[in-house]
Amino acid sequence: MAATKIQSRMICPSCKVEMNHHCDKLVYNTGPLGAGPADLTPGGVITEFHTCPGCGGGASRDA
Amino acid sequence: MEATRPLFIPVILGTARMGRMSLHAARLVTRELGKRARVETELIDIARLPLPTDDAGEAIKHPEFSARMDRADALVIISPEYNHGYSGLLKHVLDSCLKEYIHKAVGIAGVSAGPFGGARAIQNLLPVMRELGLVTIFWDVNFSSVQKLFDENGKLLDESFIRRIDKFLKELIWMAKTLRHGREQISAD
Repeated sequence: MAATKIQSRMICPSCKVEMNHHCDKLVYNTGPLGAGPADLTPGGVITEFHTCPGCGGGASRDA
Repeated sequence: MEATRPLFIPVILGTARMGRMSLHAARLVTRELGKRARVETELIDIARLPLPTDDAGEAIKHPEFSARMDRADALVIISPEYNHGYSGLLKHVLDSCLKEYIHKAVGIAGVSAGPFGGARAIQNLLPVMRELGLVTIFWDVNFSSVQKLFDENGKLLDESFIRRIDKFLKELIWMAKTLRHGREQISAD
């Protein structure tokens, strides 16, 4: 059975409200260590992008 | 909350060349943008960003530039055309951020001494914008024969550009509002 990864909602550090997860993007890591453990595609990491509906601030994390 | 927060749309001047005519175009677009209700703007001159050139990408992120891109709802890029392309320094600066740009609008104004108004530089920038997560609008401004468009003090000599800039900014602001709503309210889940 394939494991399903469920992430918690991101909370805006300024407004303390739930942020909106509006997209995922393949981000290419060009650092000396290459892509991280969340790698799903060679050479890149799927990254989630979130925005706060209160202040408009953005945040991201590995998907 | 959305209605109470003005849009922030900085203008990036994409060249550091001495004597650059793009400065006049950038100042003009910034002034026109500043006349819009509920829009804040500022001119970001990449010549004044002290980015190192012995590394690249997010490793050289400049805190103030990053903060402005994070706050921005949309960008205007003023790009001259050098040898059919945009400036290398502009790419170097743009590459220093990524998460700051995602799902934000961008409009590009091209500048050239020739008749095409930076059209080739704009075309070359489009795939870069896409990969950076920016959303391009379908209006451009093409400052062609730029040496004839402004006097030595930067005064615009062809008033027809005001109307062109108006169309460009209307589309950019609409896209900025729409994408802000999407970023803040429409879930991908």
